[in-house]
Amino acid sequence: MTAWVLDRRRFLASGAAALGGAVLLDACGSPSASHSSNPSTRPPIGKESGQLSILEWPGYEAHGTKAQTNGLLAGKNYTGKFGTSGITYTYITNDDQALEKATVSGPFDLMHPCHENLQDYVSRGLVQPFDSSLIPSFSQLNPFLVKKGQINGKQYMIPWDWGYGSLTYRTDHVSAADATGWELAWNRKYSGKISLWGGASTNFEIAALKLGFPKIDSLTSSQLSSAKAALLQQKPLNKLYWDNEYTQLQPDLKSGTTWIGYSWQDTLVTLSGEKIPVAFLNPSQGRLSWLCGFMLGAHTKNYYHCHDYVESFINHAACAQMTNSYYYGTSNATVKPSDIKNQTLVKALKLGDPTAIAATDVHLQSWSPNRKDLELAWQEVVAA
Amino acid sequence: MALLGVPVVFIALFSVGLRSNIPGAPVAFSLSNWSNFLTGGGGAFRGRFVYSMEVTLAVSVLTTLAAYPLAYFLSFVARHRRYALLLLLLAPFFTSYLLRVIAWQIILNNNGVVNSLLWDLHLRPQGDGVSWLIYSTFSVALVLFYSWIPFVSLPIFVVLENMDHRLQEAAADLGASRMSTFWKVTLPLSLPGVIAGFVFVLIPTTGEFITPLLVGGPNNQLFGNSIQAFFSATPDWNYGSVLAVALIVVVVVLTLLFGRFLQTDLRAEARPEQ
Repeated sequence: MTAWVLDRRRFLASGAAALGGAVLLDACGSPSASHSSNPSTRPPIGKESGQLSILEWPGYEAHGTKAQTNGLLAGKNYTGKFGTSGITYTYITNDDQALEKATVSGPFDLMHPCHENLQDYVSRGLVQPFDSSLIPSFSQLNPFLVKKGQINGKQYMIPWDWGYGSLTYRTDHVSAADATGWELAWNRKYSGKISLWGGASTNFEIAALKLGFPKIDSLTSSQLSSAKAALLQQKPLNKLYWDNEYTQLQPDLKSGTTWIGYSWQDTLVTLSGEKIPVAFLNPSQGRLSWLCGFMLGAHTKNYYHCHDYVESFINHAACAQMTNSYYYGTSNATVKPSDIKNQTLVKALKLGDPTAIAATDVHLQSWSPNRKDLELAWQEVVAA
Repeated sequence: MALLGVPVVFIALFSVGLRSNIPGAPVAFSLSNWSNFLTGGGGAFRGRFVYSMEVTLAVSVLTTLAAYPLAYFLSFVARHRRYALLLLLLAPFFTSYLLRVIAWQIILNNNGVVNSLLWDLHLRPQGDGVSWLIYSTFSVALVLFYSWIPFVSLPIFVVLENMDHRLQEAAADLGASRMSTFWKVTLPLSLPGVIAGFVFVLIPTTGEFITPLLVGGPNNQLFGNSIQAFFSATPDWNYGSVLAVALIVVVVVLTLLFGRFLQTDLRAEARPEQ
């Protein structure tokens, strides 16, 4: 048998080759600012492939695709026209991950993140502005939300859905006297029955609200340390940092594995519909609120398809049905409270008023200037 | 070598700040992340590393201890049925690793198979499940044990199969009891397989992240989860690369260490034939 011996000379030669290859690849792959496609060179829609690669949250896939199992009608007009076979989804479970995937896993034709990291998408050259004249329903969108999707007057995000974030809790296990504020997640009485989300920014916002910091997305370094200490204190009480609302949080709340979980209002609606006794906490410090929408990939070769796709989501019928399914607000201002079935929820969540997400008693999740420090601190919490 | 080396060089470049995952971000040589991990505020990661190594070592030892009788049974007891039984042992591997871990989630969950059985048998009050069954060190170790046991059994089985059985007959002829033959002949001759099996589970488990992600819960994540998180959930490839390089160094040291043991044992085995 011949033995293959890696002597020092061969090892050094192989090492040098590896280093050389790495440097060469490094040079080839150097990040550079992206450029939007030139309108004059854009092919017409008939010449586009229609193969859309979309960065999306689970549950928001277009109607008719195999992945859409929640009965959402959004996207129906698009899939009716172009079919479903050309659409591929890549999933995200939180906004930090969305930005990361958009940066390194793309390019995507369309993305559906929330607005707080919009300026990072723009500065990294990941997105280009929409041509709102190609989206007929754009004129029906709420101007307050439309403005949130602009940078330097350009429409980089077409707003679609908005809502709140708070703690959903089982009213049969959690005393009403305890459900007053975010400190509920720190209540030792419910140790092992709490489940916060795995999103870094959101958990620091929650800790900041609990600690009474006024600017929850612009924490000073000492505030960041305090928030980290608070999250470290909370961690042992947590059953799980959930990633998926539908496969982890909702089943756990339903089964009683978890009694208190960070969620959006759709969890309240889903579980209430199944007669599970739950409530959506209205913390004394205020709920969190969010706004998400579509962003157009900087290098998409399906420019017109993308606009059509977005139109099929933001039109009146799609928005009204989405609100009635998930009880999230939508950007289409023609959807009136009277279009929504559950009037109690409409009033409780102020679904007829998109400006409610920026009211004084809620906190719209926004861009964090020190996100790098925050993310490192979050990983230290997770690793601790 | 290039296929192995190029990614490692890339990771090393990230770890010292000479690359960035953020387009357009300035890059410059910096050891600040290394300093943070080794001596500064990265104590949480150092602690996680120690915990991971403890879990890894425990799982490796337990898996090897359990795999030996299994391999012994297949080789010396099962005889004609041994290959059929070996196939049965490997049958779970016809499905994906992820599905198998999710199956364990269903078994160990608060409302899972085990707790439901305990309730049905009235061994615990209805609704009061054994809480440490899932999202605990136990659940992580159990699933890793289950996942690796066939892989550890295989090299031991191969060594036992190829053993010169005349040596055991000779020991018996010379009056050695079955136990004495096992301790003085069979076990020493099978050590290369045992060490190979131990290394088979030890090396990959040091970087494991799927099992703790699904059944570990917030307090039982392994070092691999921190690395994975820095490359996905909270993107900081520079810090993540520091952790990855540290893990690579540990794996290389372990490989060299156990490689030396393997070499020694094989030489020792070969000596009588010279």
